[in-house]
Amino acid sequence: MAPYQKEGVLKDGTRVILRPMVQEDRDRLLEFFRGLEEKDRLFLRSDVRDPAVIDHWVHNIDYQKVFPLLAEYQGRIVGDATLHMRKVGWKRHLGNIRVVVAKDFQGKGLGTLLINEVVELAGEFGLEKLVAEIHFQAQAALTAFKHAGFSVKAVFEDLVKDPQGRNSDLVVMVCDVQARERREVESR
Amino acid sequence: MVQPGVPVILGQFAMRLAVIADVHSNLEALESVLAALQAEGVGAVLNLGDLVGYGASPNECLKMLTNSYYLNLAGNHDLALLSPEKAEYFNIIAYQALMWQREVVQPEYREFLQGLPLTRGMPGKFLACHGTPTSAEAYITHHFQGKKVLAELSRGGGPRVCFFGHTHRRALWYRDIRGKVARLEISRPQVFLEAEGHYLINPGSVGQPRDGNPQAAYAVFDPEEFSIHFKSTAYDIPGAQRRILQAGLPPFLAERLAQGI
Repeated sequence: MAPYQKEGVLKDGTRVILRPMVQEDRDRLLEFFRGLEEKDRLFLRSDVRDPAVIDHWVHNIDYQKVFPLLAEYQGRIVGDATLHMRKVGWKRHLGNIRVVVAKDFQGKGLGTLLINEVVELAGEFGLEKLVAEIHFQAQAALTAFKHAGFSVKAVFEDLVKDPQGRNSDLVVMVCDVQARERREVESR
Repeated sequence: MVQPGVPVILGQFAMRLAVIADVHSNLEALESVLAALQAEGVGAVLNLGDLVGYGASPNECLKMLTNSYYLNLAGNHDLALLSPEKAEYFNIIAYQALMWQREVVQPEYREFLQGLPLTRGMPGKFLACHGTPTSAEAYITHHFQGKKVLAELSRGGGPRVCFFGHTHRRALWYRDIRGKVARLEISRPQVFLEAEGHYLINPGSVGQPRDGNPQAAYAVFDPEEFSIHFKSTAYDIPGAQRRILQAGLPPFLAERLAQGI
């Protein structure tokens, strides 16, 4: 099972376990992704209902390339945030973050909790900035990233599709991991 | 030269001073730095805190540092080991290491950590802290932070030098007599300081350097010639990594040591 974990508290007092994904999560991950609404799945990059996709993930875990952070409640996976990193090249100081939350845990602050934890991990890994690409219609995600210290840096109009196949906007948000320390210090 | 077992009276300080920080339970790195200091002719070792956290040898490091000739301070990991609610905002990796250390650190060393001050200093000469003089958690990484601490330092004829740690990166901040603040590039190991200036000096980290150089970092301050000499020494990184993995701590904590991140 997961080698380490930490507890997080949601807005309604619910306590969830935050921990890295491990190979044994395969079946519960599949259950989690299959339980997502179609509109939430559309914002993901892979067909997460396909067992082969999940198998590939759990058999190729490399925390230095992709750090998958799960939120667990009573043995059930209710949130998944991934931090994607590169060791070389012109983007080696950047990380990309993706987050998805179970429907019955949306609106409880779990997205913000997961994003905050990934930002802290990014600082530990020596990254300088985190980048999130968000569909303009994913308003809950936009709000969660904003609460976690991200700001909108670019909007690409009509670049992506919405669930009905219509063109829509892509929002790029960025968090300066080190500048976030500044806000924390100022708020003390 | 440092004499183990001989208490240092800070008020009489006039000799060269070794400055170390962020040992973080890395016994191999600490041993290497202390061996190097034997040849330095320093009068005292000022340790800027975070004796524990991250690494796998907290008891061994604490045993060495409890000797009274080390002038230790409390860092945020030391404080969190005593009060776990302070670790709630640690990321999951740092949190796990700290929770493991809470289980293994011996009671006498907890007592020792409880007695550590947040700052030390010698009036008119220097001040020492972990993060900033007012917080073990706050960082000095940005211009506004350095400017704020330097402004407080220069007010009322305060000490010319403030040593700090916490970032795990060497740094040298300077405030001239006009009040202009700049972070100076450390292009040479030894820097001669200006008598009229005020300085913030970070010696880097002994146990977990994060500035790309995996060697254990420290500095030697000479109050007579008013200079700071940044130094580093190689140590048994594979040995420290083995201990971390054997303790079951997150593997990243071992991997980063070889990369200096």
